[in-house]
Amino acid sequence: MNASPIIQARSLAKTYLIGNVRVAALEDVSLSVDEGRFVAVTGASGSGKSTLLNLLGGLDTPSAGTIEVAGALVSAMDRDALAKYRRFGAGMIFQSFNLVPSRTALENVELPLVFSDVDKKERRRRAAELLDRVGLAHRAGHRPPELSGGEQQRVAVARALVNDPRLLLADEPTGNLDSQTSREIVGLLAELNRSRRLTVVMVSHEESLVREYAQEVVRLRDGRVVGTESWA
Amino acid sequence: MKFTDAVEFSLASLRKRRLRTLLTVSGVMIGIGALVSMISFGKGMQKNVTEAFKASDLFTTLMVMPGGPDVPLRDPDRPGRTVSSGGRRDAVLDDAAVAEIARIPGVRLAYPDVNFPAMVSLGEKEEFRLVQVVPAAIAASGALKLGWGKSYASDDEEGVVVSQSLLRRLGKGEPAAAVGQNLRITSVSIDLGKLAAIDLASLFSGQGFPVAMENYDFPIVGVTEITAFGGGPSPVQNEVLIPPGPARRIKRLPMTSIWDLFRMRDGRLGYSTVSIKLESLRDLERVKSRVGDMGYTTFALADQFEQVTKGFYFMDMVLAAVGMIAIIVAALGIVNTMVMSILERFREIGIMKAVGAGDGDIKRIFFFESGAIGLLGGAAGCVLGWAVSLVINRVVNFYMARQGMPHIEYFAFPFWIFLGAMGFSLLVSLVSGIYPARRAARVDPVVALRHD
Repeated sequence: MNASPIIQARSLAKTYLIGNVRVAALEDVSLSVDEGRFVAVTGASGSGKSTLLNLLGGLDTPSAGTIEVAGALVSAMDRDALAKYRRFGAGMIFQSFNLVPSRTALENVELPLVFSDVDKKERRRRAAELLDRVGLAHRAGHRPPELSGGEQQRVAVARALVNDPRLLLADEPTGNLDSQTSREIVGLLAELNRSRRLTVVMVSHEESLVREYAQEVVRLRDGRVVGTESWA
Repeated sequence: MKFTDAVEFSLASLRKRRLRTLLTVSGVMIGIGALVSMISFGKGMQKNVTEAFKASDLFTTLMVMPGGPDVPLRDPDRPGRTVSSGGRRDAVLDDAAVAEIARIPGVRLAYPDVNFPAMVSLGEKEEFRLVQVVPAAIAASGALKLGWGKSYASDDEEGVVVSQSLLRRLGKGEPAAAVGQNLRITSVSIDLGKLAAIDLASLFSGQGFPVAMENYDFPIVGVTEITAFGGGPSPVQNEVLIPPGPARRIKRLPMTSIWDLFRMRDGRLGYSTVSIKLESLRDLERVKSRVGDMGYTTFALADQFEQVTKGFYFMDMVLAAVGMIAIIVAALGIVNTMVMSILERFREIGIMKAVGAGDGDIKRIFFFESGAIGLLGGAAGCVLGWAVSLVINRVVNFYMARQGMPHIEYFAFPFWIFLGAMGFSLLVSLVSGIYPARRAARVDPVVALRHD
């Protein structure tokens, strides 16, 4: 490999306090992802996949260990720096799409730019461009309830990329989609990975999609890494 | 996040929940409306009284009383109305003193304040009144508001001025018709004939009192209007005024009340009060000290007006406090609405944070939302307060007109009331937004986005 790692996670741990019981979601997880790779994270439900992705995306903070993304120590950031990191450093998409239902597809894509103080005209232009890129230019004025699952996820992808991050984190992006649409979405991620040299980390338990589109896989069980495999 | 975006986000959210926004804004509207009408009422009363004082020339009036212990100013049943003694006990207000006071520079006119009790009648009906002797110069000044006829032209003219309310009591509803009619004044005086043959035993048992009554008839030359805000120790506050010339003919007791006798020195009674009309308000302090040096006590209405102003200040505070109760209820309504809004938009907040909204952005959105409620409610409250005041004013004046009272604007709306109400409403809503905004900013995106 000629690329340097964009993600360096060392000895990550995350424990939650549920009532009086400490529950370890992640224990001693170390991970390195090179720039421009498409990495899948698999494991049974409750294995800590989503927790890991939330930590990488700056939505949550680790109980122990460090995370470095593109040279910045994410695990040491304060709330404001984390917000900025989520805005510019890493785009995220989710199983349940997480679009704002009252806003149109275009306005949803614009949302991260609103918090980046980009003026309205420029926002519109960039959002329209990305909607076109994911093939949804004709649905720009529709609100999420009027869109199919696949269309909603495409809007979410456009939104995740509107601030041009180098990293895209996808948390079970196909969990709510039929198999045909799932292929289309993961295919879109793979295509973006190739054309933009976008690093993609995707949580999934659909082995066939992982095999077909990803380049390596990290397997989790009970909050620990139990194996890694690379084939491309 | 830009200011305009925050405004847009806030308004979009308020539009989405129309009914609740309307209800919350109504709460603020009622609170601000109550406050606006309360304060405008206070200001209206203050304005009316101040203008009445100014119109009646009372500011340039100074009252002089003999020295000595505190004596009831007019009415012994109201012991609060006393003037503190400052002067000498032996300073009697006689004609010489009045002449001396009149010579002080800055004094336009000095005249004894002479009252005597009398029964006045017009045809069948009769009433007890204090008749006041007032020089023509004073009666013709702004102190009297004549509605019909005119004041007597000289101190020796045979004529009296009566008030509209007295005419009403005497059964004359139409003041214009009363002008020219004769008013009968019946006075009480000591019967010297009886005094010679006095029988002490019957005197002290209340029989054979050495008094006589005499009737005097004077044509009514003018009728004063009822003013809403008279009162106070005015130089002309009685309902029957008579010039000094004819007053001298009337046989009467040399005192108004029995209290006057306690002020007697060596058999000299003097006047109980002398009124001074000043050239201008600037002369007040100088004349006051000159008269004080002569051993008399002075009383200036201008001084008391400061007390009145303080009283209005207090009244404003009480009215504002009542209005504040409504504001507090409205503020709680805003907090409630905003907290509900957070619960409903829990996921949306999570989404915004996930795509990079900072705590400050979220705070700003919610802060602007409550601020918008405040501004809308404030504007609506100004309109409501104004409208309600208008209605109250009309209704009250309708009933007052039936009582023969003149039309009065009970409410005053200086420009600052509306500006202040809007500003205050905005302030209250922003304060109400602090807690919800902080709570919204603390929302954990992981919890908010957990798919359920």
